[in-house]
Amino acid sequence: DHSPSPCILADTREISSGPAVLSCLRAVHGLRVQVCSLGSSDYIVSNRLAVDRVLQSELQSPGNRNKLSQRLRHLQGIFERICVIVETDRVRPGETSRLFQQTQFYDGVLSALVQAGIRILFSSCQEETAALLKDLALLELRKDAAIQVPTEPEGHQRDILNFYLSIPNLSYGAALNLCHSFGSITAVANSSVPVLAAGARLSRPQAEELHRFLRHQFDLQLLPQALPAKGK
Amino acid sequence: PVTTESIVVPYGHVVGNEKWRGSEVAQRLQGKVRLIFEDGLGLVDFHLSNRTCILLISEADLVAGDEFKRRLVRFRNASSLKGIVIVEKTQISDQYYSGVQKLVVLELGMVLLPVANQGEASQLIIQLVSFCVREQSRDRGANPFLRKQRAQLAEPAVLQAVQHIPGVGKTKALLLLQQFGSIHRLCNTSINELEQVVGQTVAQQIYTF
Repeated sequence: DHSPSPCILADTREISSGPAVLSCLRAVHGLRVQVCSLGSSDYIVSNRLAVDRVLQSELQSPGNRNKLSQRLRHLQGIFERICVIVETDRVRPGETSRLFQQTQFYDGVLSALVQAGIRILFSSCQEETAALLKDLALLELRKDAAIQVPTEPEGHQRDILNFYLSIPNLSYGAALNLCHSFGSITAVANSSVPVLAAGARLSRPQAEELHRFLRHQFDLQLLPQALPAKGK
Repeated sequence: PVTTESIVVPYGHVVGNEKWRGSEVAQRLQGKVRLIFEDGLGLVDFHLSNRTCILLISEADLVAGDEFKRRLVRFRNASSLKGIVIVEKTQISDQYYSGVQKLVVLELGMVLLPVANQGEASQLIIQLVSFCVREQSRDRGANPFLRKQRAQLAEPAVLQAVQHIPGVGKTKALLLLQQFGSIHRLCNTSINELEQVVGQTVAQQIYTF
């Protein structure tokens, strides 16, 4: 059974950086938007597609490239498909709109994205970004890849979700699917690769990676010693 | 003629459609890339490699109507090449852009890149060519957005995951993993076996989790 309006997961950062995107998705397009701590990408549109919202000015400055490429490479390990929405920067009141100059560096970044197989969409404002996200979500719904499980687990389910989220390269959507499709962690741990792939809506290689992880034989000797204190 | 087949592009060259000879794009490309003109490229404007080609949509094409859309659809249906559509997005053609983007990217699944004029188009083509060349020479390290397959040690992640079980901190997680080895094994351990490693209460917590 297909729900008429697909669900989009949004990262908590978007509350401050893209408020108009979120409110537009809900109010204008009537989508179900679940804000959660995704960490990896700005939006998750389906079981396989992650979307990152990037300002045009961010693509122009060489200082940002490392951060962006790290982020996108990380996403490639988690999702089958990645899309970047390049949004035109907002002109603040009193600021004259500067003519956008397409630099050689900017062209280089676009070319690299194209060659890496990352989809690129261009948007002129947050409202248009919301419309694009809606289009992507509908497209994924048509292709039967939409997120169609409850997105707000509670109580014990919440703890189980957090356990799944700690597994490397497993997306938030896949973790939700695991919660929904399997009765317990033991059921997940005892499942074969095809059963994992079907239950978590993962690709074959991703399901294999999850299967390997759950059966990984822990070796204390391989643990990096003296982990640096985090957050300091 | 609808010629959309792959053609042989010599290494580091660009094969351009005869109709662009003498154009601003062609003039700016010459000297930067080795450009060869050929007749009968059909729908394609420039071939960057044996697998990648460019279709250029001018401001005039956009304003003139839907002819360019038919061209794109024909290309998509007939060709297995990776098509990159470069579109001239100016003040005049701006209003059409979102419609074109919907068609090209969302419906046809092709790549669409906007430029402001032919000068920018040539600059972008030069960058695209340089990445095509690097791809052919298998210099994949040069692309910062390509994921490098590197085996990562699973140990820290396994330890992290086990610590998500209620009542289990780092010390108990280490103890459990040393004793049982994997998450799979830990899941299939009886409460009695667990009690021998951790206390009764925690064993119960792990077992019910």
